[in-house]
Amino acid sequence: MAAPYVITSKALGDATTPPASDRIVIGGIGIGNMGSGDQGAFLGRSDVQYVAVCDVRRNWRDDGKGRVDGKYGNKDCAAYVDFRELLARDDIDAVHIATPDHWHAIMTIAACRAGKDVYLQKPETLTLREGPLMIAAARRYGRVVSGGSQRVLEDYRDIVNPCWSGELGTLKAVDISVGGSSMPCYLPAVATPPDIDWDLWLGPAPWEPYNPGRCDGNFGTGGGSWRSYVDYSGGSLTDWGAHHFGGTIFAAGLLHLQPTTVTWHPASADGTVAAYITLVYPNGVEIHCNRPATLRPTDAKAVVAQADRGITIRGDGTAVAPVPVPAYRGTGGIYGDFIECVKTRERPFRDLELGVNTMTAPHLVAIAQRLERSLEWDRTAQRFANDEEANRLLDRARREPWTL
Amino acid sequence: MPFDPTTLDGPFTALAAFEWGGDAAPLGVIDAAVVAAHGDAALTADLEKRLGSVISGATSRAAKDYACRKLSMIGTAASVPTLVPLLTDPDESHMARFALERIPAPAAADALRQALGTVRGDLVIGMISSLANRRDAASVKPLAALLGGDATTAAAAASALGRIATADAAAALAAAKIQPGPVADAVIAGRLACADAFLAAGNRGSAQAIYESIAARIGDTPTTHRDRVVRIAAQSGILACLDDTVAL
Repeated sequence: MAAPYVITSKALGDATTPPASDRIVIGGIGIGNMGSGDQGAFLGRSDVQYVAVCDVRRNWRDDGKGRVDGKYGNKDCAAYVDFRELLARDDIDAVHIATPDHWHAIMTIAACRAGKDVYLQKPETLTLREGPLMIAAARRYGRVVSGGSQRVLEDYRDIVNPCWSGELGTLKAVDISVGGSSMPCYLPAVATPPDIDWDLWLGPAPWEPYNPGRCDGNFGTGGGSWRSYVDYSGGSLTDWGAHHFGGTIFAAGLLHLQPTTVTWHPASADGTVAAYITLVYPNGVEIHCNRPATLRPTDAKAVVAQADRGITIRGDGTAVAPVPVPAYRGTGGIYGDFIECVKTRERPFRDLELGVNTMTAPHLVAIAQRLERSLEWDRTAQRFANDEEANRLLDRARREPWTL
Repeated sequence: MPFDPTTLDGPFTALAAFEWGGDAAPLGVIDAAVVAAHGDAALTADLEKRLGSVISGATSRAAKDYACRKLSMIGTAASVPTLVPLLTDPDESHMARFALERIPAPAAADALRQALGTVRGDLVIGMISSLANRRDAASVKPLAALLGGDATTAAAAASALGRIATADAAAALAAAKIQPGPVADAVIAGRLACADAFLAAGNRGSAQAIYESIAARIGDTPTTHRDRVVRIAAQSGILACLDDTVAL
């Protein structure tokens, strides 16, 4: 005989918790490091019901499930190794993704096809070609996809406010100091521990032997972590670059634009002046990436706004009309912005298209640095003009059976 | 200053014996040579020959992996015969594609296309993936033939046809007779991708016909979550076709 169905008080909601029917049902893919932070942010919300975790590492998976079960006082959180099983669940409205970067495009596109909204940790893309395909999937299926860079509004106010208030006047140039690109990984083979599905961790990346230094999840980019290596990350240039370029591009009103020229300035022959890159946007604004201090202008008329992490924005100082700074929707910072947009179907603060535009800048810098030459970027065609070798670096072959 | 090719002898000897965990410093010299080869046909040809010897020789997987990465940057049609034998090797197939997918010469696409009929299992999906990334219109017919194959391969072929997005690709997808399931879902996704591409190119008539066909197939009362998502996509597409102020 079947037991009677009992509607619990939690299902009905109370003064602080919406009824289950009004909660956004969420699962998390990639649940260590930033994934656990994202999970905590969503798990702490009364308008979210967190139901599933997915990670190729058993320990992180178990920890992630434990946090959810501990929060709700039950054992209901499902735990998956393979993200496709999580995405196949019809009851999940949205996912947050915090895997290494080489998985971002495949998982985001698959999530959109499955009808899930996505909160995607930055950097949103690993290659230039991925971005338009991800945007197409999001738009095609009407999905809310937010990038995960909380710092744009929270850490860069000292450049955002002077720009949007009109105090800086017409913007002329920006200097950004940011770290380098990722590097090849030649670490030796080490016995694969039983708590990781190594083939699935690699996924679309080239097969290489397990070594903890390849896949450890810390934030270092100087070696010994996945963020250091070219198969999995763009390095500090795209990791911190997602914040630095994001803050800059937002402050300077370049969110809807992509650079048109990428100028490689080689180091001086005597080695005293380091190489740097200049990006020029269609409206004439220049972003200098790691321009040596000795080459920066000292025009006394310029108005300078500086963020403490190495961003300097110069304007002509002729005040222009202020424009209100956009704010997050809902409550709870960028996470709340995403959840609010899941409910209202508006585009979030760091909408995927803006995230892709942001990431285009460091990707272009990386390619120019790698080739040690200047490039012209055709945004419409999403190709370099007159440089077939540069166009080879738009994307890379994915390991079977993974496809975009 | 022109790059001196004789400085490459030592690094290539080291590469031939390279294993993961070995001294990577000599590889840095080859990296620099690859960059310096831009606009230098003689150096490019020299590097291509040396890298090809590493691939064809009795070298480690790590050495072949490295050589394929470099050929992906400077390889020409001359490297294609060297890379083709690797396509059927489960350990090396991906890195061969890593190079072939990026080599713009038609011979590279020809090799990937021919391999569709010679490789097995997941390696077929690899070829499909690379042909899709190249948006190789000449692959439409062989990809269409794979729509009747095993489910995983058929779904990959459907997605690839959506990426290629020519009129022939759209027609092949429209003609596919697939039972409901993952392959049918992939076919619809491919058709939607074709329609989006047509719309972006200003071919509203063709785009609208696809959107309306899919909307009709789903009906007004979709019963599954997947069908509801597809209906959103089709209806949004129809609106965008009818009103150019509506963006997808």
